[in-house]
Amino acid sequence: MNPIYEQQLLTTRRQLFGKSALGLGTAALAGLFGNELQAETTGHIGATHHKATARRVIYLFMSGGPSHLDMWDYKPKLKDMFNQQLPDHVRSGQRVTGMTANQKNGLPLCPSKYRFRKYDNNQNGVWVSDLLPHTARVAKDLCVVHSTFTEAINHDPAITYIQTGSQIPGRPSLGAWLSYGLGSLNENLPHYVVMHARTNFAEQSLFNRLWGAGFLPSDHQGILMRSQGDPVLYLSNPAGVSREDRRTQLDALAALNQEQHKRFADPEVLARIRQHEMAYRMQASVPELMDLSSESDSTFELYGEDAKTPGTFAACCLNARRLAERGVRNIQIFHRGWDAHGGLPREHESQCRDIDQACAALIKDLKQRGMLEDTLVVWGGEFGRTSYCQGNLTRENYGRDHHPRCFTTWMAGGGVKPGITYGRSDDYGYNIAHEDGTPMNPQPDKSKWTPGTMHIHDLNATILHLLGIDHRKLTYRYQGRDFRLTDVHGHVIDDLLA
Amino acid sequence: MKPSTLFIIIVLQIPATTCLLADGSDTRPIDFARQILPILSDKCFVCHGPDAAEHGADMRRLDSFEAATAALESGKAIDPDAPQNSLVLNRIHSADDPMPPADSEKQLSAAERTLLSEWIKQGGSYAKHWAFVPPKKTATEFEDGTAAIDSFVQQNITAAGIDFAPEADRSTLARRASLVLTGLPPAPDQLAAFLNSNSDRAYDDYVEQLLASPGFGEHQARYWLDAVRYGDTHGLHLDNKRGIYPYRDWVVLAFNQNLPFDDFITWQLAGDLLPNPTLAQKVATGFVRMNPSTSEGGAIPDEFQAKNNFDRTETIGTVLLGMSFTCARCHTHKYDPILHTEYYQLLAFFNSTAESPMDGNKYEYGPVIKAPTDINGWKQWTQLETQRDELLAKAEQVLPATIAAQWNSSSKEDLLKLATKTDGPFAASDLQSSAAELTQRMDEASANFTTTLVAQELPQPRTTKVLSRGEYNLPIGDTLQPATPAVMGAFPENAPADRLGLAQWLTSPEQPLTSRVLTNRIWQQVFGNGLVRTPEDFGVQGQQPTHPELLDWLSVEFQDSGWNLKHMLRMMLHSRTFKQSSTWRTDVEDPENRLFARSASYRLDAEVLRDIGLWSSNLLDPHMGGEGVKPYQPAGMWLAMAHPASNTKLYERDSGQRLYRRSLYVYWKRTSPHPMMTLFDAPDRETSCVRRSRTNTSLQSLGLLNETQRIEMSRKLAERLLTECDNDSARLNLLYSLLASRNPSPVEQSACENLLTTMKARYAASEKDAAELLATGEASVNSSLNAVEVAAWSQVATTVLASDAAILLY
Repeated sequence: MNPIYEQQLLTTRRQLFGKSALGLGTAALAGLFGNELQAETTGHIGATHHKATARRVIYLFMSGGPSHLDMWDYKPKLKDMFNQQLPDHVRSGQRVTGMTANQKNGLPLCPSKYRFRKYDNNQNGVWVSDLLPHTARVAKDLCVVHSTFTEAINHDPAITYIQTGSQIPGRPSLGAWLSYGLGSLNENLPHYVVMHARTNFAEQSLFNRLWGAGFLPSDHQGILMRSQGDPVLYLSNPAGVSREDRRTQLDALAALNQEQHKRFADPEVLARIRQHEMAYRMQASVPELMDLSSESDSTFELYGEDAKTPGTFAACCLNARRLAERGVRNIQIFHRGWDAHGGLPREHESQCRDIDQACAALIKDLKQRGMLEDTLVVWGGEFGRTSYCQGNLTRENYGRDHHPRCFTTWMAGGGVKPGITYGRSDDYGYNIAHEDGTPMNPQPDKSKWTPGTMHIHDLNATILHLLGIDHRKLTYRYQGRDFRLTDVHGHVIDDLLA
Repeated sequence: MKPSTLFIIIVLQIPATTCLLADGSDTRPIDFARQILPILSDKCFVCHGPDAAEHGADMRRLDSFEAATAALESGKAIDPDAPQNSLVLNRIHSADDPMPPADSEKQLSAAERTLLSEWIKQGGSYAKHWAFVPPKKTATEFEDGTAAIDSFVQQNITAAGIDFAPEADRSTLARRASLVLTGLPPAPDQLAAFLNSNSDRAYDDYVEQLLASPGFGEHQARYWLDAVRYGDTHGLHLDNKRGIYPYRDWVVLAFNQNLPFDDFITWQLAGDLLPNPTLAQKVATGFVRMNPSTSEGGAIPDEFQAKNNFDRTETIGTVLLGMSFTCARCHTHKYDPILHTEYYQLLAFFNSTAESPMDGNKYEYGPVIKAPTDINGWKQWTQLETQRDELLAKAEQVLPATIAAQWNSSSKEDLLKLATKTDGPFAASDLQSSAAELTQRMDEASANFTTTLVAQELPQPRTTKVLSRGEYNLPIGDTLQPATPAVMGAFPENAPADRLGLAQWLTSPEQPLTSRVLTNRIWQQVFGNGLVRTPEDFGVQGQQPTHPELLDWLSVEFQDSGWNLKHMLRMMLHSRTFKQSSTWRTDVEDPENRLFARSASYRLDAEVLRDIGLWSSNLLDPHMGGEGVKPYQPAGMWLAMAHPASNTKLYERDSGQRLYRRSLYVYWKRTSPHPMMTLFDAPDRETSCVRRSRTNTSLQSLGLLNETQRIEMSRKLAERLLTECDNDSARLNLLYSLLASRNPSPVEQSACENLLTTMKARYAASEKDAAELLATGEASVNSSLNAVEVAAWSQVATTVLASDAAILLY
């Protein structure tokens, strides 16, 4: 049976039997979670495929391609190769974007200008640059993957790929899959919330498809929580209409709709009465969510003063924690401005100021509230940046082009191993390498997982796994094919699981 | 009764589908296409299907009789002569070495195992998947199409032990018919005329009025625009503006003119390749250019040449063939018999269009031509073209023999120029002066034409090869010529191997899919659900039609009628099936309405919801066509997502009449369509959509009750009620007559009156609140009316506009 119909039917049956599907699911979930192998969900899969270690995910998406080489991937040997050409054997036929393929100075190697320090974690420590002093100090909670890779080398296909599993538009986003599979823990707030954080360098575009539902029913699309105007679209009553007025209106509306139901017995009509009531509750719950007045001074010390300004990355992170507390399962913050083709130091310094303290604060805050253990935090972009320079190269100023073959992503909480690093790059930060630093040959490929590497499909498979979902089983039939987020690929990386 | 007599009766009663098995038991023969193929496809073809060779050289294929019965070393997968020796039979029952393998995610059910066994015992015969066999009408003669529909539908209804639902009351039927055909409810006078008519032809006349109304084309066009993924922007990366709205206007016009659907398809695929194409035929090829495009810095042209072609090939698959070709992009299709090579042969039809693979972020992403800027412009231009043709026909009759050869080989534009010449062949004749005058009028009309993207062929075609794994940089094998998938019918003899030939193939009677796929979508528009519930997939994995004979009958009828859409709609709207009450039935368990034993009931589309509000409040601007309009939208939505270099980063809201055009004309930015559209399930138009979701969410409630334009509609509707009626009861009647095509029931009346009373008191107590409410939106406030009254009625209007009596089809 087509899953759309199946789900509609399920809803219909639940309504016919006069049971609130949500009430049942949530209560069961609350009772079962953590005690049983599987937990009941309000979503399509009914029960998680296995015991989930994460109940929710907060995904900090750095749009544009943050430079692993200037933040996370310490390459001391590059210092001595300043301005030397990238050797052919390193590039080994890798395609280069149209922006640097024909530049006059070729592909000159470009060491990071930033000092790296080693911070303690639960292994041998992790090198982090001075761009991220706060995040570095929560290294014991981070699982830093140095060997993420993708095939796409331009933003639109690459970001569409990591978010939907396909470079070409049309597929559901990660968040939509989660909403479809797991449903909601709180019907007074949207299932899947997306925030756009402010940046000084809004160099890249975002698209509805990144949080879109693709061919899934469209109620699984991400809901924008905005810093301008209504935090949720159309949340506020019109001018001259009070909450009391709305109550009166809704009572009248319910009477009208009951009458419609009496005439036509369409169960959908009863469902809509419920949705109107939820909307009414949301009109109270969202402002309560957005009202930071109950937050203590220590919160703002933790996140920084920025968190008082709506729309900053810090404010988004604080909102993310508040959403997580209230049962929103699926939260994604998009921070643009990482596409540093030129003037990388100026741009990345600003970008890191936007995010550094807040990322660390989010981890600490979740931890102090006992929520980190079942909240997965993911940080990363659609690709990394090249170890050769784009444009003029000096020791102090440079740009970097897009680099898909190797970049850094980190995760924390939700059942990932804390305080570890995973995978490594070669001495150029260009290719994924074996533990001893020799580049992998052949290059890792999405179709077969190589230990020590993490294709973006593997990342998504692992995220789903932590949330109790087998990425091979969360499928939806469209045009005759059972689609899934990870296409026909993806491998859960057990080495990252606590 | 003697046993032998009994036997005869059974044989007579059971149709010719009965057979006696060797063991004496009689069983209905298994219908391979309906019962077996779906099992094989879903459970076996993933390894044993068309691409079996990918899974190992000795992998057996089960997708044809020849392959399944081939004698290999291990035996025959299916042995028709000794069924008990069939490997399939053994393996599906084997505990030690089962098929599907124990670790396979897809296992056979007991019922499926029984069916497969029975089928093999009956000889394991194969048949083509139903959708690949050209449709035929059954032998039964029907009085007309309407009778055919009702007869086929009734068969299943009767088999379920019930009858048709009673007919809906006339006002409900009137509203339903009007919404289905035009996307708006009937106007009060139109409704009254229908309800008060005693004529036998009252309903016929009513339906004809609707079919002839300009709103018909606007409403029908929407479905097509979803399918072809029409947008006003390029879609990728910067998502800049694209000049293509004349195409959208042409679609509206084509529906209103009831352009035969085979022409409709042909013009869009290949209007430029027709002899002496008209402007409309060229503009229609905007269809070929509808793929999202990019000009991202660093993007590789070859990569996007491939991606653009994938998109176009797969869109043809979804829109006209009801098939997903996406699998075959990378490898031979696992389920449907489409070869990897065939995908690229189909793609080759599109690989030689002249546009660059990158759009340059340009509005005029060439090739472009100039076309009228709205529907009036189109009508005027079409008239001028007709006049030109008439003039040229006259000229041809008095043509000097010396220029006959030149005449026959010239375009109409050049001929008109020639006729205009004062020293030309018609110098000093009336023809010359008429031609000069016509030329001037045509020049004037075309002076303000606007850009639209069109298809053109390159002088030399590009080379097309199979791409290994669908990777643009891994072409393999020989150069391919354009060709169509073998399983879908022969390419017409003498048809050219170009887009025009493709169109001829798609619309040829031997092509099994196009007509079925389109007919199914027409049915879906009228009855809420298709006869095939997966309108995007008629393949082996898709759902089987609920009424296969009806679908086939209608598909043939569609072709026989000259691909006449209005004929099809007329047939459906006159059927008893359509006229039934939509009340859910308690006498049969059929929540999906697969029997069509009641009429459809569902929430109306985003555009219709907005249009009803604009229309009922008299705000609707009837202007047809033109550049996409930008109604109210929360501030900053585009800026928060757009690239700083994008020319669609700022949403510049329109003012005046442009705020009130039909929603079909709302500007479609593909990476961020209008939020009131996406909130109510409109697709993004980055990919083809032939069936929208119909969701029911709390956020929709917020949109219905709070969005600026809806409040503006409500207060203008309130003004209308207060202006046109002189007491509250009449006002409520008018409100319900506009939105529900009937008067309110006593319960509705009392709910509304209570609300009205409360609101009157409440706004009388705070005139400031009343003034604030009435300041919503740009439309003027009628200051001659009492603000408290308007505010209170406005609240009632908002509520009724959001109620299910107004937002549902039923």
